[in-house]
Amino acid sequence: MTKLSRRMFLKLAGTGAAATALYALKHKYGILHALVHTTQGPVLPEETLVPGVCRMCPGGCGLVARVVDGRVVKLDGNPLHPSNQGKLCPKGQAGLQALYDPDRLHAPMRRTGERGSRQWQTVTWDEALSEVVARLRDMRAAGHPENLIFLHDGQGGPTADLIARFCQVFGTPNNVAAPHYYRADGSPLAHLLTQGWAEHAAYDWENTNYVIFFGGAFLEAWQPLPHSLRAYSRLRRGRPRVRAKIVQVESRASITATKADEWLAVNPGTEGALALSIAHVIVRDELYDAEFVSEHAFGFEDWTDADGQTHTGFGTLVLREYAPDNVAHEIGIPAETIERIAREFAVARPAIAAGDVSGCKDSLYAQWAIHCLNALVGSIDAPGGVLRQRQPPLADWPAVEPDEVASNGLAQTRLDGAGTARFPLAPDVAPALAQGIVAAEQAPGALFLYHANPLYDYPTAGWDEALARIPLIVSFSPYLDETSAHADLLLPDCTFLEKWFYEPLAPSIGVPAVALGRPVIESLYDTRNTGDVLIALAKAVGGSVDDAFPWASFQTAIQNRIEGLFHAGQGLPMRDTFDEFWAEFKARGVWYEPEYEVGQWNQVLITPSGKFEFYSQTLRQALGQDDDEKLLPHYQTPHFVGDESAYPLHLVPFPLVTTGQRWSANLPWLQETYGLHMQATWENWVELNPDTAHELGIQDGDLVWVESPVGRIQLRARLWPGINPHVVGIPEGQGHTAGGRYAEGYGANPNALLVLEFDELSGECTHRATRIRVHKA
Amino acid sequence: MPRWGMVIDLDKCTACQACTLACQAENNVPFSGPEQAAMGRSIHWHEVIADVKDEHGELHARFIPRPCMHCEDPPCVTVCPVGATYVDDEGLVRMDYDVCIGCRYCTTACPYGIRYFNFYAPEFPEPYDQHLTPGVPVRPVGVVEKCSFCIHRLERAKREAAAKGRELTDSELVLLPACNQACPASARYFGDLDDPESTVSRLARNPRAFKLLEDLGTEPKVIYLGEEKN
Repeated sequence: MTKLSRRMFLKLAGTGAAATALYALKHKYGILHALVHTTQGPVLPEETLVPGVCRMCPGGCGLVARVVDGRVVKLDGNPLHPSNQGKLCPKGQAGLQALYDPDRLHAPMRRTGERGSRQWQTVTWDEALSEVVARLRDMRAAGHPENLIFLHDGQGGPTADLIARFCQVFGTPNNVAAPHYYRADGSPLAHLLTQGWAEHAAYDWENTNYVIFFGGAFLEAWQPLPHSLRAYSRLRRGRPRVRAKIVQVESRASITATKADEWLAVNPGTEGALALSIAHVIVRDELYDAEFVSEHAFGFEDWTDADGQTHTGFGTLVLREYAPDNVAHEIGIPAETIERIAREFAVARPAIAAGDVSGCKDSLYAQWAIHCLNALVGSIDAPGGVLRQRQPPLADWPAVEPDEVASNGLAQTRLDGAGTARFPLAPDVAPALAQGIVAAEQAPGALFLYHANPLYDYPTAGWDEALARIPLIVSFSPYLDETSAHADLLLPDCTFLEKWFYEPLAPSIGVPAVALGRPVIESLYDTRNTGDVLIALAKAVGGSVDDAFPWASFQTAIQNRIEGLFHAGQGLPMRDTFDEFWAEFKARGVWYEPEYEVGQWNQVLITPSGKFEFYSQTLRQALGQDDDEKLLPHYQTPHFVGDESAYPLHLVPFPLVTTGQRWSANLPWLQETYGLHMQATWENWVELNPDTAHELGIQDGDLVWVESPVGRIQLRARLWPGINPHVVGIPEGQGHTAGGRYAEGYGANPNALLVLEFDELSGECTHRATRIRVHKA
Repeated sequence: MPRWGMVIDLDKCTACQACTLACQAENNVPFSGPEQAAMGRSIHWHEVIADVKDEHGELHARFIPRPCMHCEDPPCVTVCPVGATYVDDEGLVRMDYDVCIGCRYCTTACPYGIRYFNFYAPEFPEPYDQHLTPGVPVRPVGVVEKCSFCIHRLERAKREAAAKGRELTDSELVLLPACNQACPASARYFGDLDDPESTVSRLARNPRAFKLLEDLGTEPKVIYLGEEKN
């Protein structure tokens, strides 16, 4: 007799509760029958490993999906991708639930009830698209294409490029990036002012000896995470006898801070002062890289301009103003600590200063000061230093030729004020869009939402009024988020496992890479790749708009760009014909260049002087003024909103590794692992310093009200010894009122407390500048 | 016969929880929802333990990834009245869901808290049932479940090696369990503790090595490497 497993025996015997339960289970989960035992042995299901791209966050890691009988059963990293090297962060591992979310949108829908009532009827794609096309044509016919507002998720890649192309040829300047968390850190503008490129930087962590992070949760939610996590491992144990030192500077200790060697609990908004004080010590003690500063930097020494006017140099400024004794009290850490950290940093070279200090007014100056530390210690484009993320040589699409209607539209002022005198440097200011829409002379004609959710992400002031002015709101989101709930038409996109796209590597390792996203399985529902939808809309609008979209499908459009990788002839894979290249690229899922060449100054320092600018001529031009104080990094006591006596504490919202800038609350696995350091699940909380809590009569677990000048939310208080006594922290990503059964109704949204205020230079909403008070509920 | 064990290097670990999420996905671990979670009934075959202490106003935090220890003298096996849990000849502490009567003596006896009882029938609301891993049973209400060191992967790997007429190599084993495979910091290792040259054996001899609750005499086979200080 063939050997039977216990399970088979019980099933055949048909007795006992266990057998009944198991039988019922197998009956219910019929797919387990996929593994069928016969006398010859198991019949194995059809299984393939399919490469793709994860888009749970903007990191764009290469993934490999295990597909069994047409079902995706596991996601892991693509071992061939140079950035994530076979790994996914926890959000990526949970990505199965993003695909199989029971509350995903299944088909195009039109609202039947009032806006926001969430009453919908399913319509066909043809019906939905006809309605949209009619509106688009009307706007063009009336000569006001600028009345189209296209709000998108602010992430690079071909869909963003297609949206930009559509806006350009249609004729609207209102192509507005609205990243899921409106701060992706303020460093791009700091890099623009000093090095000439408005991008995040790449970092050579693995060869560095000392890192100071000013904010920026390196191990949780800052840069593409698997790279950061691998880097941490290498920093600690990657080199024999060399264990890099990590210093974390923030007013609230993240998990990164607990893993760091030192956590400096600075007062909120004073990070820039600390950076400048460190610079003071380095300059005073002549610990800086004199060769780099003299050969590749501008504005370190005092200098005289063409008109004979003298200007203060960065060196003079920091020596004069930022001695540790001058600023230690305001920062809240001892002067001796500043002295010591500065010396350690400079002497340990290579060393890196990085982080995210956005969220207060003038935070751009703080971010700039931090980056200047890299220049002082010779870490600009050097091993163990700060690199420029290179872009892949993708082929361009054919040039766009806007017609007269479009040109007139493009000449109008953007509704978000980006690039105007109010926000001279910012490319987008999505949180200001509501004000712009409300104040506009002409009501907008249509709002398109591509994975953008301002009703959740931004201070809510003005958005209801703004949306009410817009006659047609269309959302491409696969999930019914807060803003999509107010749409008139839903045209759901496919998820990242169901559509064609590519993903240029976000700033991380420096070498360029492109990962290929594809339908790992057929679309589960009647959803469509938004790229394909835009092509169809453009063709239907006709004329020059149609001409600019010559492709049969989005897949063809991206393939045309990928031809550039083949023609560039460098990088891997390399093949003789494009067909062979495309086949190999598809099989591997990624193209990349293996080496980064340091010291290519003409690609790394593209400022007016061709040097690293301590004194920014770019800023001088943008501001149109000559005040040295404004054209060098400097520190001012930050401006906080809310009267100190009424609102004595500072609010710091922060991300967790389980949130990270995209839909995550609708994934129950992420809800059940949400708050590791508090062992908190299915809710967020407000962190209080234990002494502060004691003074307020609040114990761990008490329900409290957190109030700001504009709102209040109720949360559970949790004591966290890792927080400056004047600060409270609230993790982001909860308090949803839409998004599905696993997202809605848990915790509270800290964005509801934020006053709408801006750092004009960067265009950032000041999310760390709101004062609050806390009291027992 | 191999004696399976695991090493986790806390100096490389970043507390990201990719290991926990990979295990949920690989082993068809159900989510429990907020009410059950509030009662402490969430099931996590693998979990990262947060050990946070306030020492005179100073923060001390340590994060410890915690699978089943696959002890050599497991208290769970000692107390099981029906033999539903037992140590097999390769050192794995096994669960037989068919035999388990749900008394939860084992769950109480385990000092590491790695065992979980199905107080409710696990739900995989459609279409979550689509992503269930074949070869890993979905457990019914009323039985205890726990980390298996991904035994289904181990058995498949052994079958595939046997089909090629050879033994499993150490390098095939190091990242075999889903948690190890997922770890972005490459902080985890699996292998044969009875092979003195295996990765786990060599790391187990490291001066940083320690085990959890060693004084209880459970003889856990998960070995941790402690953090260094600069």
